[in-house]
Amino acid sequence: MREFGGIALLMAALLTALLTAFPTAVQAQMEFSLDEVDEEAPEPAKQSKTEGDLIEELAAGDDSNSGPTEPAPQREEIAEEIYAVQQIYALRLKRLELAPSAAFTLNDPYLKHYGLGFAANYWFTNVLALGVNFIWYDWGGDPLQRGTDLVNRIGNQFRLGVPINDWQFGLWANFTYVPFYGKFKVRKKIFQWDAYLIGGVGMMRTQPIPRFDPLGIRSFDWQTNVAFNVGAGLRIFMTRYLTLFTEFRAYMWPDQFENDQPVPPPQQGDPATWIQSGSTFVANTSIQVGLTFFFPNREYRLPK
Amino acid sequence: MMMRVRQTLLRISLVAALALGLVIAEGIQANSRASAQEVHVSGPLAGAPAVMHQRLWRDMRLHVEPFFAFTIGDEYSRSLIVGGELRFHFLDWLGIGGWGGYSVAKLDTNLTKEIQAEGVTRNANRLSLPEKDNYPSQIGRINWWSGVEVHFVPFRGKLAMFQKVFVDADLDFFVGAAFVGVEERTNAVGVDAAGIPSRNNVSNCIIEGTTAPDNQCLDSQLARSKRTVIAPSFGIAFSAFFKEFVGITLRWRGIPFKYNTGGSDSSATGSPGQGVIDSDDRLRRFNNMFTVGVIFALPPKIKTTD
Repeated sequence: MREFGGIALLMAALLTALLTAFPTAVQAQMEFSLDEVDEEAPEPAKQSKTEGDLIEELAAGDDSNSGPTEPAPQREEIAEEIYAVQQIYALRLKRLELAPSAAFTLNDPYLKHYGLGFAANYWFTNVLALGVNFIWYDWGGDPLQRGTDLVNRIGNQFRLGVPINDWQFGLWANFTYVPFYGKFKVRKKIFQWDAYLIGGVGMMRTQPIPRFDPLGIRSFDWQTNVAFNVGAGLRIFMTRYLTLFTEFRAYMWPDQFENDQPVPPPQQGDPATWIQSGSTFVANTSIQVGLTFFFPNREYRLPK
Repeated sequence: MMMRVRQTLLRISLVAALALGLVIAEGIQANSRASAQEVHVSGPLAGAPAVMHQRLWRDMRLHVEPFFAFTIGDEYSRSLIVGGELRFHFLDWLGIGGWGGYSVAKLDTNLTKEIQAEGVTRNANRLSLPEKDNYPSQIGRINWWSGVEVHFVPFRGKLAMFQKVFVDADLDFFVGAAFVGVEERTNAVGVDAAGIPSRNNVSNCIIEGTTAPDNQCLDSQLARSKRTVIAPSFGIAFSAFFKEFVGITLRWRGIPFKYNTGGSDSSATGSPGQGVIDSDDRLRRFNNMFTVGVIFALPPKIKTTD
């Protein structure tokens, strides 16, 4: 925490991967149909056999065994290229998404933080949503009970104290964008999934934990900090209204920590000397895992 | 017979390695009519496989993957690694591979810089921090990495990017053994001014293999020893294929093993320490590694199913 090295490396790696992939990808197969596998010109629709996957075939329909049996009029072959494209399994357009989740902080070496979150998003296009998310971290008790052994090791081995802040909750307004969607085959079942980018602004409530207080007189109130966040997530559709999701989020805010420098005795009782004068930019990277529920639960009419 | 063996192996591996996937696939089916996207077919496609003309990106192919990697979650120093990986897949969902990399750069964390700037040395902690300016020279570092792993690829599918670019993708789960070249501070004993081993009044150090105390542990701080650690390795990779023989992969790998990360007397929970730098000061770390690689598949021509 309080350093961007890991996040910067991660972002750079992902960006590099995307940049590497994209120029090649645009030349790659452009259809979900498997017609392009052998890079042959697609056959006229009337002559197409069972190519592509099963879903595409169903979507394209097959009228060969249905309808009246009266002789069809003689037709000329039409060299029209028709591609069967699978319908998107679950649409998000004009739906409300409610998402409870659990949050686990990855990069705070000094204090473990466990959060329960809730998010609500409204999808005003099929790929773009506006919403809020909330995470509660304050479960009572002595926060130093959640401290890692690194805190004591640094103190014992290097004679260094580390100012530590506890967190109460965070609240953010976010935009979500879904650039990627796909499907995975597991045995004989096909799962739809999408990947999204998310980012927004909001607030984070934090509180210094007194650790540099020989007189035992320091106490701190929760302070509200402007916070930002960016992230990326993966959502797997179990049904058209229920998904499992996991997301990586980086929550960032300027935070004020306890003053770790000695204070002359006459000023030790002054609360203004208890806090560091400057702010430290904090980056909390976390993994969130949860469910999403889409409302309303629509009945889909898939075209034949 | 071979077909039955293949099917049995498939089932066993799926059950063992992908419990979650099976819960999703089977558990939900038991309670709900809406189990992902299962299609019941009664027409001419009845009995047809879920996917026809499936491209076999891995089946009997060799994947050559140069990669760039970095470690994350390190306390004192993170490594930037350049390396390569070779994998051969007997089946489209099963393969074996080896990998190796060298740490081309080691970046100290802010904690290391803070200790270097503000650490305090007293006789009680001299063994852990002989001299703050040289602190980066005493921390444990990892010089090279390698391993052999078995790869399972149970999930595969297609991915649309921005509704414009469509690629095949899969998830690769792997497990194996890693061999890691660790460089850490040489074992030493803290002694007082009279040369008597001491826990809380260390004036000098006796480096392992020597008899004479050094000056204020300054030589001990810079003395290094190297060893090879054998550890389990496992992880998950997301691969996307853009051409018949080219793809990219994003890979997370965990390699838990012990080493003396801070080069300090870490074995005691309180202060002072044990007065000795030795193997007891090695702390178990998960050692996360994130990798970005480019896959080149051989032979270049891909096979497809019926």
